[in-house]
Amino acid sequence: MAEVLLSNVRKSYGRTDVIHGIDLTIRDGDFVALVGPSGCGKSTLLRMVAGLEAITHGDISIGGRVVTDLDPKERDIAMVFQNYALYPHMTVAANMGFSLEHRGGSKTQVAERVRWAAGILGLEQLLERYPRQLSGGQRQRVAMGRAIVRDPQVFLFDEPLSNLDAKLRIVMRGEIKTLHQKLKTTTIYVTHDQVEAMTMADTVVVLNAGRVEQAGPPLELYDHPANQFVAGFIGSPSMNFIAGTITADGFSTSAGAVLPLPESENRLPHGPAIYGVRPEHLALSTDSGIPAQVLLVEPTGSETQVTVQLGGTRLVCMLRERAALTPGSTVQLQPRVDSVHLFDAASGKRLGA
Amino acid sequence: MKNAESKRRAAPSFLAPPRRARRDAAGLGAISAARARLLIYGGMCVLLIPFVFPTWWMVTSSIKPASDIFAFPPQLLPTHTDWSTYAQVFKLQPFGQQYWNSAYIAALVTVGTMAVSSLAGYAFARVRFPGANALFMVVLLGLLIPAEVTIVPLFQLFRRLGMVNTHWPLILIPIFGAPSVFATFVMRQFFIALPVELEEAARVDGLGRFTIFRKIALPLARPALASVAIFTFLHSWNLYLEPIVFLSSAHMFTLPQALTHFTDAYGGPLWNVQLAAATLTALPVLIVFVVAQKQFVEGLAHTGLK
Repeated sequence: MAEVLLSNVRKSYGRTDVIHGIDLTIRDGDFVALVGPSGCGKSTLLRMVAGLEAITHGDISIGGRVVTDLDPKERDIAMVFQNYALYPHMTVAANMGFSLEHRGGSKTQVAERVRWAAGILGLEQLLERYPRQLSGGQRQRVAMGRAIVRDPQVFLFDEPLSNLDAKLRIVMRGEIKTLHQKLKTTTIYVTHDQVEAMTMADTVVVLNAGRVEQAGPPLELYDHPANQFVAGFIGSPSMNFIAGTITADGFSTSAGAVLPLPESENRLPHGPAIYGVRPEHLALSTDSGIPAQVLLVEPTGSETQVTVQLGGTRLVCMLRERAALTPGSTVQLQPRVDSVHLFDAASGKRLGA
Repeated sequence: MKNAESKRRAAPSFLAPPRRARRDAAGLGAISAARARLLIYGGMCVLLIPFVFPTWWMVTSSIKPASDIFAFPPQLLPTHTDWSTYAQVFKLQPFGQQYWNSAYIAALVTVGTMAVSSLAGYAFARVRFPGANALFMVVLLGLLIPAEVTIVPLFQLFRRLGMVNTHWPLILIPIFGAPSVFATFVMRQFFIALPVELEEAARVDGLGRFTIFRKIALPLARPALASVAIFTFLHSWNLYLEPIVFLSSAHMFTLPQALTHFTDAYGGPLWNVQLAAATLTALPVLIVFVVAQKQFVEGLAHTGLK
């Protein structure tokens, strides 16, 4: 187990900068998820920590040791790849023990460690099989087994669940989290799925275009997004945004509706802004509120997702109760005032508290 | 009401024709499928003739008396058999020695080419160095130069090295010449298709470049190596131009060269003896191909040559 420090880490391909000076501290034993849209640089950053990608500028240290110029084998890390990268010509046991064997472990030691890892991951019956004889979930488990068998200082996961179907992904998500709770090894986990990041990580780092937009505990990012990008990226369905102006009466939308503002935000300068409200913080009423037209009703059983039109903006409401709404009907919107977020119209930065 | 009832009663007879029609259609379908298959097999049999007939003619003529080979109409099946031709093969030439020459040269060339082409192919596929692509194009250009163009300078070179009438030219030229270039191309294509993540996983596991090649890339390249081995062996086994240029003593000859020396006192070919020697020459190649056919085809499929 070890702390991982990234100081002013940059990466450029020729003149194109892909990582723009990232500073990040990953505490010993933390589970950190790097999340962001495709091409934001999250996998590149992980590969830089692994030593598979050279760093243009900056330093990376693992467990107090600067590893910037070290080979992957010297960094004491283990990595689980998106397509598992199991050696096809080796059995499960050979795959798992390969690294230890190569590092000079005796046959008994290797076999013992492989048995231990197989026991943790429920792979005892599969040790003599070849990767081609395994299902996707089993391969994923073997890839994890290969990582844990060596007891490295840091685990690196590069979108390890993206090749699995939705059901298996949820099962494996639980298994990875359980494994981390058991081993307490510092883990860096790359995913583009914000639900995966929210449910698994102690700290979520949101990346966009090679920059850290915000880093913090999942619920902090959810409740207090630092900017409009994070607010829109974290949460499913994502936050509703309405463009308008902060006035003395409240928030006036371009369609002429006036939305209520929390009292704490009364001191905000009047002018153009973005009004953000999460779908579950938008209630529907038939008597009072802001009138909007129902476009779509999507019941999921436990909740109902309703899409409405307010002026030129489409908004999504998530209702816990089963609502008997029909498309085309008019409803009254009631945003939960204390859960409203305001962002600067130009920079997208959070306004107020 | 009556009408409706009569319609209901008539329904079964009304439904019957389509059912029968379906059955008939299925029957017709089966017949046409069988006809199509027959046509395909027939066509394939016709196409087979130019490939099978020369081998058939070689094997049957090797046990015919010389006069029967040119008999008209041609005898597809020998009427008289003469097995003494096979004994003659070994009497007229040091055929056993020549067989050994061909076998060991082909084996060395095969192993050497596999080593050179897998290393070079891996380097061209995976090692990044300036001008790699340009260098690979230069290497590939070697395939476009006919052996006849380079044979004279090569002869001069090997003469200076004192290697004329030795087997060295027949071993070294294919290992570092055109057959190896083709093999390098095949191996490079295979290594390019190998997932990079496997090598990255190996790097994280603690392996260096050469160990990755030896322990990960090479074992996975078995199908490509098998096809390289087969066509390199065949090329060396059938090599004709180089042996006739570099070798002059009968005990140094390889099989293709030896075949031309089964002649009578006037230099005319002893056809039946020559064909018996040709049969013996072709035999190991046929056996290897029949045994390794699946591997060969798979190898070509893997390397994207099919």
